[in-house]
Amino acid sequence: MTDIASRTVDLSVIIPVGNRHASDLFALCADYRSGLDALGSTYEIIVVLDGPRPEVAADVQRLLAARERVSVIGLTRRFGEATALVAGFQRASGRIIVTLPAYHQVRGDEIGKLVRALGASDLAIGRRWPRAGSRFESMRRDAFHRVLGSITGQRFNDLGCGARAMKRRVLEEINLYGDQHRFLPVLASRVGFRVLEMELRQSPLDRFDGAYPPREYLRRALDICTVFFLVRFTKKPLRFFGMVGVSTFLIGAALVAWLTLDRLIFRHPLADRPALLLSSLLVVLGLQLFALGLLGELIIFTHARDIKDYQIEEVVRYPALESSATEAREADTPLGPVPAGTQPRIA
Amino acid sequence: MSLDLSVVVPLFNEEESVRPLYAAILAGVEPLGVSFEIVLVDDGSRDGTVRIADEIARADPRVCLVKFRRNYGQTPAMAAGIAEARGEIIVTMDGDLQNDPADIGELLARMDEGNDIVVGWRHDRQDKLITRKIPSRIANRLIAKVTGVPIRDNGCSLKAYRASLIKQIPLYSEMHRFIPAMASIAGPRIAEIRVRHHARRFGSSKYGLSRIYKVLLDMMVIKTVASFTARPMVWFGLLSLPTLAAAALALGWTCYTLAADGRMSLSIAGTGVIFLTSTIMLLAAGAIGELVYKLGDLREHQFSGLTQHLLVRGVADHD
Repeated sequence: MTDIASRTVDLSVIIPVGNRHASDLFALCADYRSGLDALGSTYEIIVVLDGPRPEVAADVQRLLAARERVSVIGLTRRFGEATALVAGFQRASGRIIVTLPAYHQVRGDEIGKLVRALGASDLAIGRRWPRAGSRFESMRRDAFHRVLGSITGQRFNDLGCGARAMKRRVLEEINLYGDQHRFLPVLASRVGFRVLEMELRQSPLDRFDGAYPPREYLRRALDICTVFFLVRFTKKPLRFFGMVGVSTFLIGAALVAWLTLDRLIFRHPLADRPALLLSSLLVVLGLQLFALGLLGELIIFTHARDIKDYQIEEVVRYPALESSATEAREADTPLGPVPAGTQPRIA
Repeated sequence: MSLDLSVVVPLFNEEESVRPLYAAILAGVEPLGVSFEIVLVDDGSRDGTVRIADEIARADPRVCLVKFRRNYGQTPAMAAGIAEARGEIIVTMDGDLQNDPADIGELLARMDEGNDIVVGWRHDRQDKLITRKIPSRIANRLIAKVTGVPIRDNGCSLKAYRASLIKQIPLYSEMHRFIPAMASIAGPRIAEIRVRHHARRFGSSKYGLSRIYKVLLDMMVIKTVASFTARPMVWFGLLSLPTLAAAALALGWTCYTLAADGRMSLSIAGTGVIFLTSTIMLLAAGAIGELVYKLGDLREHQFSGLTQHLLVRGVADHD
C-alpha cells in the first residue's frame, strides 16, 4: 500500500462502502474501470470499508489481486460516509479526486464525462438523468431539493448521487463529518468553489422499487435542519437567535403588560390567570434564546482568527520578494499558515 | 525589513477606476518619502479589474494583488489585504476614487503623533442626500452613542491603523465599518481628520438603503460582544437579575399566601418556578461562556499589550 501512495497519479477514485453496496463489488469496479480507462489518465482506486464488512472480503481480495492500483482502507466501526471519504482522501495522491458510490447509480462509461466536465470549476457532481423510478419518488425528491434550494439559494437536483469529481483543494478546505457528504456541493459553493451539475445516464442496475421506511423521511427532514443551521447560523448566531429571541420576549412582555393593566385597572386577580404562565414562559424563552445567540457569538468572536470566511485564489507579487521579508511576514501574520497558492510568484 | 506603509484597496468591478486610482496613490504617497506597498484586493470582480490590476502589479513591484475566488464582500477583502500587508502602518481606502489618496500624508502625520488609529471624516460628502447622507448621519450618531467611540463618519474607508494592532483585531461578517469600535477592546488612541471626498466618477454604488438594518444589527453584536467578552459570567449574571427578582416576588407571594391562609395560586407559583429555572439556566450559560472564553484565543491582556505606554526610568519608550 505504501508504494502506491508514494507514486502520483492523475485521478484518485474513492469508493466508500457503507451499508448499502452492490452485491458484486468486483463487477462494479470493473464497470467503473472501463470508464476510467477510456479517459486515458492514470488513476488509483481507494476502497474505504466503513466498518467491518465480511461480506465483501472476497471481492476485496479479488480487487487486490488484480494488477491495477488499488488500496483498501478498513475502518474499525461505522463512521459514516463523509468520514470514509475523508479517510480515503488522506491516502489519495491524485490531482483530481473522484468519488463513486459503492452501488450502481451511474453507468461506468459516464465517468469520463464527469471528469472532463470539471474543467474550470472546482467540483462537478452527477445527476442521474433521465431517472427511473415512480412518480411519487420523483416528486418527493423534487420537494426535498426545492426546500433545500430555497434555504441555501442554490438549486441542485440530485444530492443523493455519489458520483463527484473535484479538485484536491475542495476536500482540503472543507471539513466534512457525519452525513455531510450529501451536502458537499452546498458547502463547497458556500465557501466559494465553483460547482457544476452534470447529467449522467443512470445505471440500469440502479433500481429501487420499494417504499422508503418512515425513518428515511425523518432523516431527510433532519438533513434539511442541519443545512439550515450550517448556512444560516454558523456565521451570525446573534442575528438569528437574537431575532427569534427578541420577538418571543416582546410577545411575552406585551402579554405581561396587558395582564398587569388588567390587574391594576380592572382588578382582575392574577392568581387565577393561566395566561400569566404562558406570558412568563414566553419572556423566559426569549431570554434563553438570546443568551444562546450570545454564547454562539462569543464562540465565533473568540475563534475569529481560525474562521476564515474567504478563499484566496492567488497572491500576485512581481518580482519575488527577498526571502527575509517573506519570513518576517509569515511570522507575524495572525491568520495562521499562509494557504497554498499564496507563495510569491516569479515572473 | 518591513515597510513603513501599506495601502490596502479592495476592488470590486472597478475596471475604469484602477489606473487613475493607482496614479493617485502614487501621487499621494511618493512625495512622503516612505517605503510603501499597495495591496490591491480583487473581490471576485467580473469585469476587467483583475487584468488591469495584474498589469499594474507586473509593471510595479511595489504593487501586490490578492485575488479572491469569488465575491465575498468588503470586510473579507479588507481582512485579506490587511493580512497580506507588510507595512508598519496600514491605510485602507475605497477603490472607487471617492477617497483622495492625497490625504494619506496627513493620516501618517497624525499617526506619528502617537495615535493608533486615524479615521477620515468626509465633512463635505459628495453623495445623494436622501439615500446616502441622512441615513448615514443617523447611523453614525447611533453608532457613536452605542459603541462609545465618538467617530463622526464610520462609513469612510480612508483610515490608518498601526499594523500590530489591526492584525490582531478579528474581522468577520460585515464589520469593516466598525473596525474602530471593534478595536476599542484594545483601547487605542483614535484621531479623526477631515478628508476630501469626491463624487463618483465611474461605475455605480454597490450599496443601497437596505444595509442600514444590517449595520444596526452588527453594531448591537459588536457592542454586546466587545463589552461582555472578557466577563461572560458577570454579563449573564446581570441578565439573570430581573428574572431572579421576578422569581423571588412570585415565590415570596406564594409562601406568604400559603402561610396566611393555607392556599396558593398555581399560576403565580408556576410563574415563580419558571423564572427561577430561567435564572439558573442563564447562570449556567454564563459558566459555559467562561469556558468558551477560556478556551478561545482572544485575551484581553494581549490587547492591552498592543497599545500600552511604557515608561521606564532613564528611557521613555512607547509602543
